[in-house]
Amino acid sequence: MSMKRILHVEHSACTSQLCQIRDKVREACHVLMYSDSDINLITLVIDEACTNIIRYAYGGESGRIILEIFQHEDEAIFHLQDFAKCIDKSCLELRKTNVLEPGGLGLQLIYQVMDFVQLLPPRGSVGNILELKKHLPKGSQNDL
Amino acid sequence: MTFEQKKYLHYQLLALTGEVDLHNSPQVRKQLLDIVESGNSVIVDFSALSYIDSSGIATLVEAYNLAKNNQLSLTIVGATGAPLQVMELTHLNKVFPMIDSLDEIKG
Repeated sequence: MSMKRILHVEHSACTSQLCQIRDKVREACHVLMYSDSDINLITLVIDEACTNIIRYAYGGESGRIILEIFQHEDEAIFHLQDFAKCIDKSCLELRKTNVLEPGGLGLQLIYQVMDFVQLLPPRGSVGNILELKKHLPKGSQNDL
Repeated sequence: MTFEQKKYLHYQLLALTGEVDLHNSPQVRKQLLDIVESGNSVIVDFSALSYIDSSGIATLVEAYNLAKNNQLSLTIVGATGAPLQVMELTHLNKVFPMIDSLDEIKG
């Protein structure tokens, strides 16, 4: 079964864009028939990933974020692409253990909600692609 | 996101409306820290809050720690939906005093 693209959007890497990105994620997740509870969590995770790109990958510089959402068999696949300097895979390692200490909460939430998290090789000479996967609710893959 | 601050019994009540994210959490942080640094315990009203991200949560944690260190309190009231899910996911619902309604606050 081939990958079906549900969403492709491009935004400037700016905090004022986060609200619009969240709205588009919610719409796409409705199409994928996730529950309201899952939609809340997936929206949070994509927002956290975009936040990390804005804060750490671009570090305040201007840039772009491309968000793509695919449906493949029983999974939704989320790709977040930036065009900043390539980051080390160790940036995706969880270090935080205490929620009352500052830092790392966004990454912790991403791992808690998603079934699979990895960095893909960039398509060009710069940038990063974060791939996140989450199982679709039962039955939805047959209806799409 | 908008917020409104008012006195409630001997607390300062900060009511948040809309969505808190990296774009506006610095405003919430300033407001919360100002309240606690002025020597007030704070109630944060989530009743009209539809979304909060980790930067908003980090702001609450910072204000909570500051309040605790100054023998003050930070209480959350009326969390439902996505904000409640975030609190549960981070287990902060077991750290912060959380109540359903202001009626539970005793003067």
